[in-house]
Amino acid sequence: MSGFIFMLTLRQLLLQKSTLLLALLALLPLVIALIFRLSESDQDPENWTAEVLLGGLVVTIVVPLTALLLGASVIGDELEDGTAVYLLTKPLPRWQVLLPKVAAALLLAVALAVPSTVLSGLLAIEGRGGAIVTGFAVAVLLGSLAYVAVFVLLSLLSNHALIIGLIYVFLWEGALAGIFEGLRFLSIRHFSLGIAEWIAGTEPETFDAYLGGETALTAVLVTAFLALLWANRRLEQIEVREAS
Amino acid sequence: MSGVQETKAGVPALSVESVSRWYGNVVAVNDVSFDLGPGITGLLGPNGAGKSTILHMLAGLLRPSRGTAKVLGESAWHNPGIYRLIGFVPEREAVYPFLSGFDFVRASARLHGLPDVEAAALKALAEVELTDVKDRPSGGYSKGMKQRLKVAAAIVHEPRILLLDEPFNGADPRQRLRMMDSLRRMAAAGATVVYSSHILEEVERLAEDVLVIIAGRLAASGDFHAIRKLMTDRPYSVNVRSNDDRGLAAALIGQAPVFGVEVMDGALTVRTSDLMAFAETVPKVARAAGVTLFELSPTDESLESVFAYLVQR
Repeated sequence: MSGFIFMLTLRQLLLQKSTLLLALLALLPLVIALIFRLSESDQDPENWTAEVLLGGLVVTIVVPLTALLLGASVIGDELEDGTAVYLLTKPLPRWQVLLPKVAAALLLAVALAVPSTVLSGLLAIEGRGGAIVTGFAVAVLLGSLAYVAVFVLLSLLSNHALIIGLIYVFLWEGALAGIFEGLRFLSIRHFSLGIAEWIAGTEPETFDAYLGGETALTAVLVTAFLALLWANRRLEQIEVREAS
Repeated sequence: MSGVQETKAGVPALSVESVSRWYGNVVAVNDVSFDLGPGITGLLGPNGAGKSTILHMLAGLLRPSRGTAKVLGESAWHNPGIYRLIGFVPEREAVYPFLSGFDFVRASARLHGLPDVEAAALKALAEVELTDVKDRPSGGYSKGMKQRLKVAAAIVHEPRILLLDEPFNGADPRQRLRMMDSLRRMAAAGATVVYSSHILEEVERLAEDVLVIIAGRLAASGDFHAIRKLMTDRPYSVNVRSNDDRGLAAALIGQAPVFGVEVMDGALTVRTSDLMAFAETVPKVARAAGVTLFELSPTDESLESVFAYLVQR
């Protein structure tokens, strides 16, 4: 049954127009990396790749936006268009509806963001610096998990999940967490950067994430777990009424 | 998950006990109580009366603000076990457009954990007469076909209780008859079928019992014919056009079904307690009085006015 909901959701996501936009977004780092290579910049390739390409573009924009569009739509759209009733009026505990949907959104998010991370990273570093690419690939994978879980939860709490998600990504993580260091403990982006640096083992002059690796890993897993727990609780209590 | 049992002697299939439901400050359903058993029951009422809210509470999709909605004695809210016994057909026509009709019903069968998914889906599709188009994407179905498809998905596990929210919306007369036949067959097999409608004729043609819901309250309930009589016995106003309105008015006074006539601005309005008897009487009276009748037109015949009359009683 869960496998069926997973496949149904994957099919829904693949047929969404926004998924095409996300595919184009995933290509963006490759294009930028190619331009960097061709421009023969004076910047250190490893530093540029970690700070600008992967830490800046991929982790800051590509991963959260991909997770937001997929996570917010995976149940939120069904609640909005009325098809959720067909899943919710079945003799299934709600977690059997929630988890396959989260898994489908996560699979697609990872399928778009991880290859984009690996290929653009390798292209920019000219095939060297494998640790940085590996670090960011793992960070993108775990960051996607936390983002998808949080944005699915958001779609169950509000009809304006997309707007709130954008505010979180750009205002909270992008601006406020940069100014107030304490907020980095509530920023999935900073968790991801911490994991990337931890695995890559880079020198501070190459890339410094501000959050320790173990802390970041714990934070990302706890965030995902709590978000899923809350989302399940919310789905168990969710009310469906005929649209007026 | 609940262990709702298949049979419970003496327990009504559906039970609504002092249920109210409000959205913010708006009261959608106000202190409604009823029990329902096998057979077909129509929830009749104007748009916005609270019919859909009641069905959603019975389907466990809305939590009553007060009171309880029960399925075979168990609370419907927060109880996925009831879906083994319930089939719910929502009003909205949304289906998964990329799935064929067959895949859509098969999905429902699979999510119910049925042992033979294919056979159950084919049987349900045959019941609503969609077998011929089962392999077409459901997104291309007409509104009436989508309604029947939703019914097929809701009955695939052969539920004992079927709840349908405005199931005849968008269906053409032939599709309507087909669906009515399907629902009659289910009821004849012992199922409890409850459907909502704001159209009197839809309820009249199918329902054995009726619950009239007006402004969130249960205005009348019971045998349809008794309620229909309540509705038809109410006073009616009929505009009459003839070549001699005053002469006809004088002739009509004293006739049994007429209890008031009024000629104003050259127009004759007659008040009657029995529309059918009046329709039979007036041509005879006109002929006897040598008056030529041009037109009889009942006024204020909207369903809302009928409902308003019931509320006043």
